[in-house]
Amino acid sequence: MRSQVTGTIAGTPTSARSRGGRAAFVLLPFAILVIAFLLVPTVSLIWGSVHDTKTGTLTLNNYSYLSHPLDLVPFRNSLELSLASTILGSLVGLLIAQAIVSSRRPLIQEIATTFSSVAANFAGVPLAFAFIATLGASGLLTRTLLGSGIDLYSGGFKLYSVLGLTVVYAYWEIPLMVLVMLPPLQAMQPSWREAAEILGASRWQYLRAVAIPVLMTPFISSMLLLYANAFGAYATAYALTTGFVSLVPIQISNLINGDVSYDPGLADALAIGLAVIMALCIGGRALLERRSTRWLSR
Amino acid sequence: MSRLELANLNKRFGEQVAVSDFNLTVEDGELVSFLGPSGCGKTTTLRMTAGFESPDTGAIIVDGSDVTDLAPNRRGMGMVFQGYALFPNMSAAENVEFGLAVRNRPVAERRARVSELLELFGLSHVGKSYPHQMSGGQQQRVALARAVAIEPGVLLLDEPLSAVDAKVREELRTEIRRMQVQLHITTILVTHDQSEALSISDRVVVMNRGAIEEVGTPTQIYAEPRSAFTAGFIGAMNEIPVRVVSGREGLVERDGRRVAAVGAAGLSDGDLALLLVRPESLEPIGANLAALNGDLTMSGQVEVQTFLGATTRLLVRESRAGTDDPMAMPASRRLAVDVPSSSANQWPAGSQLQVRIPVGSSRVIADRSAASRPF
Amino acid sequence: MSNPSIGGEATEEAIAILPGVHARSKDARRTGRSRRTPVWSIVVLLVAAVYFLLPLYATAVFGFSTGKHFTLQPLWDGLGDSGFQASLQLSLFYSVLTTIIALAVVAPTAYVVELRFPGLRSTIEFVSILPFVIPPIILVVGLSSMYGINSPVNLIASSWAPVLLIGGYFILTLPFVFRAIDNALRAVDVRTLSEASASLGAGPARTFLRVIVPSISLGLVSGALLAFTTAMGEFTLAALLGYPTFPVYLLNINGYLPRAGEALVLVSFFITWAGVIALAAVARRAPGTQVVRGGPM
Repeated sequence: MRSQVTGTIAGTPTSARSRGGRAAFVLLPFAILVIAFLLVPTVSLIWGSVHDTKTGTLTLNNYSYLSHPLDLVPFRNSLELSLASTILGSLVGLLIAQAIVSSRRPLIQEIATTFSSVAANFAGVPLAFAFIATLGASGLLTRTLLGSGIDLYSGGFKLYSVLGLTVVYAYWEIPLMVLVMLPPLQAMQPSWREAAEILGASRWQYLRAVAIPVLMTPFISSMLLLYANAFGAYATAYALTTGFVSLVPIQISNLINGDVSYDPGLADALAIGLAVIMALCIGGRALLERRSTRWLSR
Repeated sequence: MSRLELANLNKRFGEQVAVSDFNLTVEDGELVSFLGPSGCGKTTTLRMTAGFESPDTGAIIVDGSDVTDLAPNRRGMGMVFQGYALFPNMSAAENVEFGLAVRNRPVAERRARVSELLELFGLSHVGKSYPHQMSGGQQQRVALARAVAIEPGVLLLDEPLSAVDAKVREELRTEIRRMQVQLHITTILVTHDQSEALSISDRVVVMNRGAIEEVGTPTQIYAEPRSAFTAGFIGAMNEIPVRVVSGREGLVERDGRRVAAVGAAGLSDGDLALLLVRPESLEPIGANLAALNGDLTMSGQVEVQTFLGATTRLLVRESRAGTDDPMAMPASRRLAVDVPSSSANQWPAGSQLQVRIPVGSSRVIADRSAASRPF
Repeated sequence: MSNPSIGGEATEEAIAILPGVHARSKDARRTGRSRRTPVWSIVVLLVAAVYFLLPLYATAVFGFSTGKHFTLQPLWDGLGDSGFQASLQLSLFYSVLTTIIALAVVAPTAYVVELRFPGLRSTIEFVSILPFVIPPIILVVGLSSMYGINSPVNLIASSWAPVLLIGGYFILTLPFVFRAIDNALRAVDVRTLSEASASLGAGPARTFLRVIVPSISLGLVSGALLAFTTAMGEFTLAALLGYPTFPVYLLNINGYLPRAGEALVLVSFFITWAGVIALAAVARRAPGTQVVRGGPM
């Protein structure tokens, strides 16, 4: 039922069309902000990436890294780091999420969820420092282990390394995994397990035939999220290593801020490469989400 | 030897008693229903039979062997769950095949049996469909096919129809019965729906608060309820105040007239009791007609008619309801009289009538107002 | 008649799907499905708790001591540091402004789209997902290339400098703010409310302010919380564009007052905690509220 109101009681009547025009006016600030701070920079990015920084000529040189990405140290490190922290984060996160669901106590579930939210939000500079205090050269855990005879650092461990970063990234990857995997795990119907059991299946047979296939999709989808997060992270990595460890985001920042290696064109190209990786991850995730909801909604 | 025996089952969860002193034998090929309100212990008993709960005391015996300590996957029973519990990542055919695959039957044999069952349940055209693509009725049939595929000794049905549309429910329950008879599978059905239990069971176990109230055939349960609870729970039941004349002879009287009634034996002479009569057994007659043959009658006024389809229920307020007369119906209670809908307009709301209470196997129970269902 | 619920009447409860929930020995009498918390679950959660509390504890140990005994002195050192106050003020300035602008721009926009331009909805949705896919590091390169020091429109050197960071933060917080407000709008029948308001004589502005805004207040609050906490903790944009906000300062102070830095880290952690609790409180009243950024920093 559309009302036939054509305007306010007091004041000149306005036609529907002019109200439409006025409504569009409301969209203007949003449009301006998005154009100015999202679209224009994107165009500028693309523009800069196809121009040589020194000479200003049109070129695809900046994209030459695409032909052999793994030769580039930053790419290798970023890939390694993201893969390692994703695997660690997703496996441990899955375990913890299942522990939360199995606890069957609403209080535990609420506490664990809140804590996971906090930990997942904790990334960045504060997290880096917390870990320096823990696993740094004179960190608490380092010294405690030393006291028990385990010398981390002489064994080759360094916090400012891909391995160290993996441990740090895990701190927010794991909670993120927990939060993302809790809904699918809670949607698993206990009657599936019972039905399988009374049909003669052992626990392992049930896992293989039902649980794992059903959870595979949300699990992979979550891994994609974790991977994208790890790959694109800058703050934590920089705060921890101050550029010591070469990663793609760090490399990008060096190229726009560094004195020696200043090359915004290359930075643009790398940024676009990074954006493509992110888009693939998020796109893949969107596709998988659709499938998992089909099986896991009651 | 009976197919299934449930002996002295007891189960409590913390302080709460879920099942107490449950004893039942089920013969081969029987369909027995556990019927009762929610919380009565019927599902817990079923789950103990399946092995998903362990009884505190008691035993579950199948074909003479005690299976109480066996895990569910070793008991050779089949089960259908309330929410279907079909594996979402498998097609209908794969679901049905599951039990056979677990037992490592040869592939050819499995496929043959699956098509046979799909055919039996009218599912051949949805064999390749996934649960989320099927209707509730189809899913439940797949669940049934899956359960019987492994030729279980006992089939357990946990409120299989409660998640299904009302329309499909009747159809499906007849199918369940037909399949059960055809395959001669000993079956236990848990339900809170009386018409379901009464329509397809060989016997009904009425449960209340963890214990068995009564066991009997559907007819026995309906027409000759032995306990007040059963009388009130199954169908609609009128309770008419009478006085016991002779417990030994089974005689009660009301307003000077005496009738025979079953169940008076436990009551003392002179006690007040309640005569239990089904609405369909009562007969309305004109307000001024003289009572015949010493029938019991009650005078009153039709308060409201409720159309129930084939029958119409008249709610009658007794003329002296609420008075101090011990034979009067309580003020808030009405007499329910079912008449064929075609003649319902003889007794419109507001009309005076008499209700004839038939002589015969009416039962009496002690006057316990807590047990009755108010009208 | 009603029978008191026996409490134990079986209801579907989550049964662990990973090994270890109920030990079913084949011979001994089993306890059946346990309704208590399984042991492995408690063990895992305890270990997890230790793992996650350890860095915080280490931070406290480092930050609240002189190396020998407990003291809050480093905290006072940090709080008293002039750099701290300046950076905190700057962060607050940007965060508050970002939040206000984000809400003030996105709320009417989402409302108008919902009401009058439903066709635009997928475009707007896509636009608000975009920043989610673009982590700060990419955004900052784009911003820098367009508005940075060596670029056509040099905002940084101008008196319009704050606009750059606020603009960037707007984009960064856009996904959460939009989703929070949009969810709230869709939970309410915006169309009917607006028509009712109009039929009573209210103009569109008044309708929006007096009718719509109160009915989506929870969405506004959660959007505001997310925007504010994101902006307060944001490092990448601020650092690479040269704004000395609190996170940037935090990095610096580690150089000359490491203990104070750790103490402040702990403080910021508790503030994050407070933010999450607040969001969780909102989420309890409006289920589906997003509590975690979920994107890289």
